Amino acid sequence: MTFSMSYLLEQTINGITLGGLYALVALGYTLVYGILLMINFAHSELFMAGGYVGLGALKLLGDPAVAKTAGMGFLAPIQSFFLSGTVGYICLIAAAFVISGIVVGFMGVFIERFAYRPLRHAPRLAPLISAIGVSIFLQNAALLWISSKQLPYSRVDGTSFVPAKTAFTVAGVNISTMQILIIVTSLVLLAVLDTFVSKTRIGRAMRATSQDRDAAGLMGVDINRVIALAFFIGPALGAIAGVFNGMYYGSVKYNMGFIPGIKSFTAAVIGGIGNLRGAMLGGFLLGIVESLASGFLSNAYRDVVAFIVLVLVLIFRPGGLLGEAVAEKV
Amino acid sequence: MGMRKIRTYVSLIAVLAAVALVVTGCGGTTGTTDGGAKAVTVTIGIGAPISDGAVALGKGMVRGANLAVKQANESAEIKDLGIVLQTVEGDDKGDPTTGGNVATQFTSNPSLVGVMGHLNSGVTRVAVKIYNQGNVLQVSPANTAVDLTQMGMKNYFRVCTIDSVQGPAAADYAFKVAGKKVAFVVDDSTPYGTGLADEWAKQFEANGGKVAGREKTGDKDTDFKALVTAIKSKGVDIVYYGGIYNSGALLSKQMKEGGLAVPLMGGDGIFDGEFIKLAGAANAAGDLCTSIGLPTAEMPKGQEFIAAFKAEYPGEEIAAYDAYSYDAANVIIKAIIAVAKEMGADKVTTTEGKKAIIAAVPSTDFEGVSGKVSFDANGDTTNKAITVYAVGADGTWAPAAK
Amino acid sequence: MTDAKTQAGTVGKVATIPPKKLALYGVIALLLIIVPTTLQAASGLGFLVRILVVVGIWVLLALGLNIVVGYAGLLDLGYIAFYAMGGYVGVLIGQTVSSSLGSGTYWAMLIPAALAGAATGLALGFPVLRLRGDYLAIVTLGFGEIVRICLVNDLGGLSNGATGLPRGVETLQAPWPSAWLQDTVRFPTPIGEFVFGPNLYWYFVVLLLIIGAIIVIRRLDNSRLGRAWVAMRENEVAAAACGINIRTQKLWAFSLGAMSGGIAGVTFAYVQQFISPESFTFMESVFVVCIVVLGGMGSIPGVIVGALVIRGIPDLIQGLMVAGVIQLSGDVTSMITGYRFLVFGLLMVIMMAVRPQGMIPSKRRALELHPDDDRILAEEDQTLWDLKHRDQSPDDV
Repeated sequence: MTFSMSYLLEQTINGITLGGLYALVALGYTLVYGILLMINFAHSELFMAGGYVGLGALKLLGDPAVAKTAGMGFLAPIQSFFLSGTVGYICLIAAAFVISGIVVGFMGVFIERFAYRPLRHAPRLAPLISAIGVSIFLQNAALLWISSKQLPYSRVDGTSFVPAKTAFTVAGVNISTMQILIIVTSLVLLAVLDTFVSKTRIGRAMRATSQDRDAAGLMGVDINRVIALAFFIGPALGAIAGVFNGMYYGSVKYNMGFIPGIKSFTAAVIGGIGNLRGAMLGGFLLGIVESLASGFLSNAYRDVVAFIVLVLVLIFRPGGLLGEAVAEKV
Repeated sequence: MGMRKIRTYVSLIAVLAAVALVVTGCGGTTGTTDGGAKAVTVTIGIGAPISDGAVALGKGMVRGANLAVKQANESAEIKDLGIVLQTVEGDDKGDPTTGGNVATQFTSNPSLVGVMGHLNSGVTRVAVKIYNQGNVLQVSPANTAVDLTQMGMKNYFRVCTIDSVQGPAAADYAFKVAGKKVAFVVDDSTPYGTGLADEWAKQFEANGGKVAGREKTGDKDTDFKALVTAIKSKGVDIVYYGGIYNSGALLSKQMKEGGLAVPLMGGDGIFDGEFIKLAGAANAAGDLCTSIGLPTAEMPKGQEFIAAFKAEYPGEEIAAYDAYSYDAANVIIKAIIAVAKEMGADKVTTTEGKKAIIAAVPSTDFEGVSGKVSFDANGDTTNKAITVYAVGADGTWAPAAK
Repeated sequence: MTDAKTQAGTVGKVATIPPKKLALYGVIALLLIIVPTTLQAASGLGFLVRILVVVGIWVLLALGLNIVVGYAGLLDLGYIAFYAMGGYVGVLIGQTVSSSLGSGTYWAMLIPAALAGAATGLALGFPVLRLRGDYLAIVTLGFGEIVRICLVNDLGGLSNGATGLPRGVETLQAPWPSAWLQDTVRFPTPIGEFVFGPNLYWYFVVLLLIIGAIIVIRRLDNSRLGRAWVAMRENEVAAAACGINIRTQKLWAFSLGAMSGGIAGVTFAYVQQFISPESFTFMESVFVVCIVVLGGMGSIPGVIVGALVIRGIPDLIQGLMVAGVIQLSGDVTSMITGYRFLVFGLLMVIMMAVRPQGMIPSKRRALELHPDDDRILAEEDQTLWDLKHRDQSPDDV
């Protein structure tokens, strides 16, 4: 391996991009964990659902071949706006995010209402098992009702919705438009969420609920509303990550959520689960570590390196990087 | 409390016993045939990944075998013998443990004499021993692991060539015809991908080429960005991928998008239209793959097969193993016919009949869709032709220029 | 306090088993022998015996995890790593000594496999056991993946990578007296020829292992260690204050559970005559956890029923169709095979809502959990009712 600065930089950018995706998904885990102390195992499937809904939205709004099929002609004028140059493309992606975020957000709220709320006072492992059940259900629903195949994240004619080729080269380092888009969007969303939670009234209610649910209830916080909100925001961010994942890597499949799900959960734990900034930090850290491990060590052991980092962090800081040193509640 | 618990247990046991009885009762009757027609039902198992794994290839196997059986049932030869052939699908999901269960189920089926399958070499490793115990013939259209025919299993045959033929042929093409000198070799950590990539790398180096690096990925991986950056830094002119189309296509796509404009070459696992769809025709253009045998359309029986396929499965594409599965099923059917002629149709599904069917296969010799079908002493096909395909500008696989 | 009393009662009862219970045990034992033997003889149903073997191996796994999750309350999501260690160690050592041990290899390998499992459990437990519940879950998950990836990548040239063991033309020796039984014990019956084949042999081996595991676990449950686990599970701090060494107790639970996993692993390898990393994915770990929780944490019958339902039923449905026992039209077949996991996922959710303590809950846990739940629920409802009726404007959050 010939070491060069540009190689290191390019791998780091790969890592930051991957980290941005992890961070977006990790926020969903951490939000729910912070409030309910449960691992929402189905979150990775909501990420997958986000990928599918986003693909559907992109096809309806940005694929002329779809508008040409019978009964879909009314889409043509809408599409002509979205396909009209840079502004149109940006609007197209934004529309896919919004649609996917809203649909999947409501899926999250729905799942919480029917699968988790009845278990709020059940033994500790019950919600976890229920979540695994939801996860198996969603995966098989996608397999049966959408497709068992890996679907390309592109128009019917095979072209990408967003030109994903290398955008420019700085000092020998290739950066693609997609990478910039992912990094910028994830940072902006993280900042917005952070402000929302720390500055607004409902954000304060969320923090209160995560500190002590009963006490918050006594103080007049509508706990169910707060929980539902967490189950909307988390999956919505996960869905956006799902759309990005599809556009960046090029496909969706019914079992695609599994590996990013585990990694993002790992990221949330590294950062200190329950802590929003921790999830972001953990996500970026894990992404960079993985990318560098793959680039300098061996692609085969990237996951091993990721999990070793997790173990090391937890041994030296049992509460995660930004988590408080937690004493078991007595 | 105690009483209630005992009652629960007793009822549970009663239910289990009832289920066992019902099931046993059913089992007794399946062996007999319908009295009216007096035809003997002979079953052929299709072992393939249907719900998980390389599903597109697995479904192709089901199509090919079913087509062969349907044609056989319509032939006068089978009708005169008083045999009705039927198929039963066993979904092995590409997983050895599931494959072992499927193999036991096949073996338990009294009317089942042969299995057309499996796709994955790892599945066969477990299944073939079970078939061997149960005197069931196995003909695989797709196993390429070299050692499978060296395990001393007399009931095992395959109609496809193996890694040690396919890998080197591909490496020869890459070095001698395409003029590639520096390669990076990637596999998907499955037995299939690893075996093929190892054989390719060995031959490429023997030819004088340089293997600049060797990496492993997972067969469900989608993120190859860091790998692509690493490959790019090595200055290679070809990437060899041992694996299946799902991940292979994404590697090709991410290579081209990441500024690594060299062809990706793979084995028969990426020889599917899905590869081009997933990678995008523009990215896949110039990618190479090898497949066993000669192009179906150029074979003497090829056009006939394509016509029959289009009639039976309108709107579906022929995948990599449809033709091989058709040939593999025909190997079983021809052995059944030979035994039925010799011993009588009613003896086909007995233990002696099953043993006779296995014994009849080595003398197989017919013109199949993939070429001449006959076996050597180990059960490997004598047809060792390999064809190189390339993705053309029109976005389809076409035989590459020699 | 009441716990101790019930416990004392149970211990006292061991000496004199009531006749009714004795009769029940007798019936169960008889069924356990007769049903598989009949199935083996019945033409076309032999595969059901294999399903029983596979389910039995999962019962062993679940019994082991039950110690960790059910008794000690530690959520282990990488339990499959011990299963893998047992399998690989058993096969690797077995291959080197099989020339001298012959058909005794499998039986001899139970010991190194169990030790390998326990040693792995200790090695993992030592650094991570001070972590709190969910952190432990993710670290064990990571550990399971690390083990699998190392196996796939053929670390140290031992595991033969993705291809698995045994290598190429080598085979694993069938254990004593499987070959003899198959050759000797065969006779015609009215329902088909009975052959004492390998599946039936393995059924009895696995049955013996399960019975052994149950005896050990029941003794443990009533021992000082078992009570320490319960105390620790309920309240770590209070248990520590009572003089229980939390770390040691956790290590015991971890390594004993892992030992059972190791034994299951080597048995699996010899049953299947082959072992490869594909069998040790994270999903398998999840399945074991599901068996324990759905069956009933801390409950031995619960775990057995859980394994039968979760591993047995999907295989049974598919098996009956593939083996030609039930003839269904193609549409119905694909409906059933396609939808079974969907329904399975849904059932898990419903089950947790209706009966979170599991199908057959442990008596002790049911007592501990249920009244408490109801009390808390009632209190909560009361609080909410009070809140709603206290004339607050909703904006006053």
